Amino acid sequence: MNIYGNYEKYLDMILDEFSKRVYKLNDEYKLKTGYKLFEHFISRIKTNDSMIEKCKRKGFKVNTYSALKEIKDAIGVRIVCGFVDDIYTLVSLFKDMENINVVEEKDYILNVKPNGYRSYHMILEVITPYPDCEGNESGRYYIEIQLRTIVMDSWASLEHQMKYKKNISNHERITKELKRCADELASCDLNMQTIRKLIEEG
Amino acid sequence: MKILLAEDEVGLSKAYAQVLIMQGYEVEQVYDGKAALEAANSSTYDLMIFDVMMPKMSGFEVLKALREAGNTTYVIMLTAMSELDDKIEGLELGADEYLTKPIPLKELVARIRSLERRIDTNYNENVLTFGSVRLNVSQQELSAKNSIILAGKETKLMEVLMLNKNKKLSTEYIYNHVWSKDDDSDAGYVWIYISYLKQKLKAINANVDILGEEDREFELVEV
Repeated sequence: MNIYGNYEKYLDMILDEFSKRVYKLNDEYKLKTGYKLFEHFISRIKTNDSMIEKCKRKGFKVNTYSALKEIKDAIGVRIVCGFVDDIYTLVSLFKDMENINVVEEKDYILNVKPNGYRSYHMILEVITPYPDCEGNESGRYYIEIQLRTIVMDSWASLEHQMKYKKNISNHERITKELKRCADELASCDLNMQTIRKLIEEG
Repeated sequence: MKILLAEDEVGLSKAYAQVLIMQGYEVEQVYDGKAALEAANSSTYDLMIFDVMMPKMSGFEVLKALREAGNTTYVIMLTAMSELDDKIEGLELGADEYLTKPIPLKELVARIRSLERRIDTNYNENVLTFGSVRLNVSQQELSAKNSIILAGKETKLMEVLMLNKNKKLSTEYIYNHVWSKDDDSDAGYVWIYISYLKQKLKAINANVDILGEEDREFELVEV
């Protein structure tokens, strides 16, 4: 059984179309300013198994409605930018996109998580030409987006490694050092941002 | 260098000020304790000279109020009292120098010169070298073939190691000299920070290394 039911085929199509739109934004921006808006665009459709697991974990019924409407990260995108400002530029471009509504927004760059995690999270609702599980002809699907800098991204992957290795002897100290490292990296991130601005201003 | 001079005896104040101005210092004179406190709170000085016995507020009271408010400017106390207890009180309150009147003007100038050298940030720029490695303590910069900026604690640790090059230092010794007591930390961090520095020494292509194992003794050596 596939939890996405008849709608599975649309997820790939929606992600593909969204990717093309974002790449197009990048091209237009590059033409206008000479800079790239992002360095990497990574995407995935949540696998059937992980979606079933998530429905159970969150206490939802294991069905298509839960997978596509209650849980909003069936389609997930991570955009990795060179500079902090690029993240906010992308956020505002997403808000201006047609047939897309921002339904949730979490700025963990301004509101850093206690462990040092920095990232900008958004959930977009895309109005599509495909049906959805609520019987809408122009179905609505969700895309979860994480925006971060290269520096934040490499920190997050290090932190991720620690999360799945609970038995390290130094756990408390490593946690503290990771947090300090995140703050130090944030400072460099901002310095690079500032230097770029100074260069632009000439 | 800008000096605040608080001395209620006008003649003396004039004499001190004249010699200091001749030495090229900028001097601002006040004649009682209250005026000294107000000046210190509204302006910045590199050095403050307070007479102890002054009207309105004593030099001790001014010093106490300033130190309590977090003002760390260098202070020289001047007094006619040569009692040991007074000297101790002044130093306990946070004075940096204590001179007993009558003060030879030559000595006053020499004392200020000596303080100036310590206040002077260029003079303070502390650079240590060992092998191909150079540590600029105030800039927190470690360099050999390449250079890298260190965090505060890393700089302090590297400084301790460089001041004690070719000496075995215990984890305990390092912990006590690098981490302040009120820090929410323990000696387990020593190894973590030694590891950071070993990595960074490699990254700058240094010909020195820190030898030693976790929780044991460490030694900075040329390799």
